[in-house]
Amino acid sequence: MLAGMLRSLIRRLLRVIVVLLAATLLVFLLMHAIPGSPWDNYSDSPRALQGLTIDKSVQLELEHRFGLDLPVWRQFTRYVFGDFDRDGDFFCGVVCGNLGPSTQIRGRSVQDILFEPPEGKTFWESRFGYSIRLVLFGSLIAVGLGIPLGIISAAKPKSLLSRSISVGLAALISIPNFVLGLLAIIVLASWLGLIKVLPDWDIPSHWIVPAAVLAVMPMAGIARVTQASLLNVMHADYVRTAHGKGLAPVRVMLVHVLRNALVPIVTFLGPALMEMFTGLLIVENLYAFPGFGREYWEAVLKLDYPMIMGVTLIFATGMLLVNVLTDVLCELLDPRIRAIKLPGAP
Amino acid sequence: MMPFPWRRALRAKAVWFSLLVMLALGTVAILAPSLAPHDPYRWVAGQASLPPSWVQGRSISGQGEFPLGTDRFGRDVLSRLIYGTRTALLLGLTAVPLAALIGVLAGLIAGYAGGRLDSAIMLLSDTLQCLPGVMFLVMVVLIFRHFLSPTWIHGLIALVVGFAAVSWVGLARLIRANILQIKSQLFVEAAISVGASPRRILARHLLPNVVHVILVWMINSIPAVILLEALLGYIGVGVTGAVDGGEFTVVSWGGMFFGGRSAMSRNPLMLIIPSLCILLISMSFILLADFLNGITRQEGE
Repeated sequence: MLAGMLRSLIRRLLRVIVVLLAATLLVFLLMHAIPGSPWDNYSDSPRALQGLTIDKSVQLELEHRFGLDLPVWRQFTRYVFGDFDRDGDFFCGVVCGNLGPSTQIRGRSVQDILFEPPEGKTFWESRFGYSIRLVLFGSLIAVGLGIPLGIISAAKPKSLLSRSISVGLAALISIPNFVLGLLAIIVLASWLGLIKVLPDWDIPSHWIVPAAVLAVMPMAGIARVTQASLLNVMHADYVRTAHGKGLAPVRVMLVHVLRNALVPIVTFLGPALMEMFTGLLIVENLYAFPGFGREYWEAVLKLDYPMIMGVTLIFATGMLLVNVLTDVLCELLDPRIRAIKLPGAP
Repeated sequence: MMPFPWRRALRAKAVWFSLLVMLALGTVAILAPSLAPHDPYRWVAGQASLPPSWVQGRSISGQGEFPLGTDRFGRDVLSRLIYGTRTALLLGLTAVPLAALIGVLAGLIAGYAGGRLDSAIMLLSDTLQCLPGVMFLVMVVLIFRHFLSPTWIHGLIALVVGFAAVSWVGLARLIRANILQIKSQLFVEAAISVGASPRRILARHLLPNVVHVILVWMINSIPAVILLEALLGYIGVGVTGAVDGGEFTVVSWGGMFFGGRSAMSRNPLMLIIPSLCILLISMSFILLADFLNGITRQEGE
């Protein structure tokens, strides 16, 4: 039993590596297919405003330094496994955790930009740390509100309360999050003066608005999935039996119904919460939040190749690990899934 | 399978609401040229940045001629809104069926064939699913936009292809899971044993049993496309292609967000009005999908 689970875990991790490699290759090719070069002028750079363009010899030098003069497949192996630099010394690629130098923020490497905290601060004060904290806070809100809302609206599906919750959730899914974020700024900051337009991120209460804006969509999604999967279970025979035995409705709901409806909810949670990282780029821009979402967005538009790859890889790794975790959790929750997956089962 | 409960559908308020909104949207989109009070493309410098007509007594007061005001180039917001429904509708009606076609084919093949083909398709879908969706889409749009000339229809094509490339995965997985379940049932075994061809089994026995899954997925995806267009427009990569100055060739709600972002302090309505339209459309589709889901659930009981 334990050996079987271990073996299936190892098989999953192998698959994660294969998928990660495929994703790296895909993004690498796509990224290089985008027309333009990292040295082009972009409308907001000071050089572009002065009408200056890059010198030809400087461009060649830069391309040589970043390895952009190599054929694409060599660039790929250079990025993933490593290459010899101009002095003939070997440097290791992504496999050693080296995400490469950024082409836009010159002189700093990608892992430096993402993970290096300012002087004398902890890891949580780095760009990545800030974003992670915001997403965790948002996840707390999304799960903490979403699941109870789903349970309430599923408990009495015909009542006015549950109907208005359903309509409200549909409305929350339908509002673009940037509109919500802007409205929050206009109403809460400009009109009511409840929050500062420029928040101080050392004060925890200033995190509430960005985290809430980030959490709205996943929260509504989680609530809707919870509601649907509870409704699917609620008419099963064993639930009727539980009611017939005279158990309290709350107990039936939480013990008999929720326990059996958990698998679809857990399956939905992972992707829904990871989706928040995509929302980050909007929210961080709106609230001038010092996370990495903005860097990523700039990187895509300005073709900062190592930066795009770095953040994509981190996201993909996180997503795949969450998927593995979800699978394991589902197997723990539902013995039937375990029985199908384990080798040697009839 | 029960026949569709038409009578219950006609009594449900949600269905009426959805149908009314869709009908109104379709009418506005078709009749846009005769409904719009002004040319949505015309710049009039003298009337730039007017507030809505009910705002009076400020430094610039609204004019009755422009009910919702004008943007900073003096273009009528109401007319742009009306023409924007065309873009939204076109997008929903092309991107979603394309994505559904790819997703259904991939899901059917993976679920029915199994083996190598199944693992190849699943590997591809795993790969796509672990990438950040919006970024992937932006990359596809950026690539496609380069090959096509910057006209509005090409902007739409880029967005349609991008959406289809990203979102078929979800449907394919859904279909595959459903097919795996159906395949083990007796009637499929019976069809195989009387010698039906795989094509016949797929078309006659498997596909009809997942039609409701496809339908609900499509209804849920149409608002997703419209929201995505709005998001990309807001960032500045939408159909309008604001980067190339092509902002002026197509009228879309996403483009209105892009314009409204800079006008936010002066006239927040430029953001609120298109988002209200999106809210209305999206809610109507979602409520309809909810209703259909409720019917399938009751059939299951």
